[in-house]
Amino acid sequence: MTGKEKLLSALKTKGIKYIFGYTGGTIMPVFDEMDKMEDFEFIMSRHEQGATFMAQGLSRASLSTNNPQLGTCMATSGPGAMNLTTGVADAHMDSVPMLIITGQVATGVIATDAFQESDVVGVMMPICKQTYMPLNADDIEPTIHEAHYVATTGRGGPVLVDIPKDVQNDSVSPKYRFNVKGYRPVLPGYLYHPAPDREPLDRAIKLINKSVRPLIFCGHGVINSNAGALLQQFAEKVNIPIAFTMHGISALPTDHPLSLGMMGMHGTVEANKAVMEADLLIAFGMRFDDRVTGKLNEYAANADVIHVEIDPSEIDKNVATSVAVNADVVNTLRLLLDDPLLTYKPRRRWFKQIDEHRKVMKDELQAEIEEGVGDTGKLLMKTIVDKLSKVTKGKDLIVPDVGQHQMMAARFYNYQTENSWFGSGGAGTMGCSLPMAIGVKLARPKERVWSISGDGGFQMNMQELGTIMEHEIDVKILLFNNGYLGMVRQWQTLFFDGRYSGTPMQNPDYDHIAQAYGIPYIKVEKVKDIEPALKKAVAQKGAIMVEFDCDPSEVILPMIPSGGGFDDMIVTRPGKEKSALKKKKKGSKS
Amino acid sequence: MKRRAILAFMLDRPGVLNKVSMLIRKKMYNVDTLTVCSSRVPGISRMTITLREDDIAKVTQVIKQLEKFTEVISAKELDTNKSYWREAAIVKLEIDSDHLKSLQDRFNFEMLEKKNRDIQIIQVAGSTAQIDTFLDEIGRENIIEIARTGVAAMEK
Ligand SMILES: Cc1ncc(C[n+]2csc(CCOP(=O)(O)OP(=O)(O)O)c2C)c(N)n1
Ligand SMILES: [Mg+2]
Repeated sequence: MTGKEKLLSALKTKGIKYIFGYTGGTIMPVFDEMDKMEDFEFIMSRHEQGATFMAQGLSRASLSTNNPQLGTCMATSGPGAMNLTTGVADAHMDSVPMLIITGQVATGVIATDAFQESDVVGVMMPICKQTYMPLNADDIEPTIHEAHYVATTGRGGPVLVDIPKDVQNDSVSPKYRFNVKGYRPVLPGYLYHPAPDREPLDRAIKLINKSVRPLIFCGHGVINSNAGALLQQFAEKVNIPIAFTMHGISALPTDHPLSLGMMGMHGTVEANKAVMEADLLIAFGMRFDDRVTGKLNEYAANADVIHVEIDPSEIDKNVATSVAVNADVVNTLRLLLDDPLLTYKPRRRWFKQIDEHRKVMKDELQAEIEEGVGDTGKLLMKTIVDKLSKVTKGKDLIVPDVGQHQMMAARFYNYQTENSWFGSGGAGTMGCSLPMAIGVKLARPKERVWSISGDGGFQMNMQELGTIMEHEIDVKILLFNNGYLGMVRQWQTLFFDGRYSGTPMQNPDYDHIAQAYGIPYIKVEKVKDIEPALKKAVAQKGAIMVEFDCDPSEVILPMIPSGGGFDDMIVTRPGKEKSALKKKKKGSKS
Repeated sequence: MKRRAILAFMLDRPGVLNKVSMLIRKKMYNVDTLTVCSSRVPGISRMTITLREDDIAKVTQVIKQLEKFTEVISAKELDTNKSYWREAAIVKLEIDSDHLKSLQDRFNFEMLEKKNRDIQIIQVAGSTAQIDTFLDEIGRENIIEIARTGVAAMEK
């Protein structure tokens, strides 16, 4: 047996069926071998970055099914591997398990600047959970098993295995043995502490019972440990409201009475005000990212913090904890739910306070949604998302790109299905949506998948329409075209006196683009056409693209300016403010 | 800024030193000294890193992120008062023999070679502070070349 055979048999043993990638000189032996076996479905992306997001989509969407799959991508050395880096860094930021296999130049020429050589391990090291470079065929199989273990346990992350071409082709030694069933990784330094200790748990329970204004934070870790339903039970048991990080969205239904929606920079007024007023934060599986906290020295100044987190290096990193529980969310919740000491409280005053905050923007947003068009007479993204939510009853899988449309999708879709929100958070990588939606669809073929992109991000990976065409992937593609890099434009409106530098763009004829890939296309310019178009997309068997003519002046509010505190929250539209000022001036003249 | 020593034990695998130094750079520190040697257990290395930081929370972060590396088995800060910090140095210097002799009872050094009447090579060991004082007393301007090992540290 050769190294490449060992590699592929190890992947097969680990339940890997889909391989996303792109071939080239140094990975050709593996591709050749893969073709001989009938165990894999190879999905060729049109750019290696596409493969990384497809792999992410597969990992993330499948983890809540009874067949969790490790998203795996493969590429050649040099440019192939370098094209992977953005998606790998993205997976690292968002704790997404992923296996990356790259070909490397032969050991004999490594470090001689050989053709298509780059120091892949060196480049990937800071953006991977772990990196490997097996230097003989005997090492390949144990390496893949260890890589799989490291990628999928604890806080997930991308793991790279860079294999020189000669090692792929070499035969294993005659004495080679590997006990697949008996394999246990020997990693004395690997921190993996899934079960909580009793002592901090007892202190946490005391704090929860004592608290008058407690607030639960639901982070990505809740989704990653499949604990959404348990978190809901816990919140109901103790009657505590819940705010979500962006990647905590869809852990439990958005319209649950205890839900305050997303918190942070573009979070709801009620979530962010509750954070300011709470006396206890109970954070599950999150890392207090700056988009969540704003200015740290003003953050939750009067609250105790209970932090349940699988990665000990996140505890006390940004926010000092009162009680640190280093464990998997699901195990912690099980113990909490069984605890007879935890008490239910009506908390009437606290909920009344929160209900006041819920009112702040409610009517205004509702009026905007109903109006459907903005100042320019073009469509509002929030209206489209609202209608999508109603047409699909909030049950579908949503894969947004990065920008205003993403925040609209986070805020105005009524998520009902556990683990139905995907996309790029920590890195905020434009272009993630289209390829990620492909991976999501492969993981959950029976569910409907919507890729929502802006005109900027869509063009970053629109070559993956080729993959959608070739593999007949049923993804509903929504393009929110506002002719601008909208999110950046919003900052320019608010903080750069409306100087739109580098944000307007000329767009291609998307009808022709869709046509070129044989994908049906609809364009929507009027509010009344939104719903019929979405219904048509639902009825369509296979991929379809719907382009919406969107208002570039729409802003996503509220907004806490970058580096600002929660008191700096902007809740009124800039245009409105101006017109209000004008009116005042007129009044003073007369 | 306060000088800190971090002691870490780690698997002797390729790339570990690279990771450690990348982490310290990412955290925007300049490594003061870094020493690596094998430990009592085969396959496990012992690393001592010294850097400057007043904020204990930041040092704790560095330690936690070191521990996060799959290869790192343990990492902790060594309390200055409860541990020995020692260095050795080899110094080539131009110095009057009598002056050197006068330092003999206060410093732990040893003559390695006397190249000629003025130039000699000596070896000195002790705490970082002791070596610094020694170098001050022989006069920094007299040093032709110096090689210091960096800190090796151990708890009392
Ligand atoms: C790869 C990448 N480059 C740049 C950015 C910075 N950025 C964040 S949002 C955004 C605008 C996105 O525009 P578009 O895709 O049209 O979406 P919109 O905000 O208009 O809905 C930009 C440029 C980014 N997040 N990712
Ligand atoms: Mg746009």
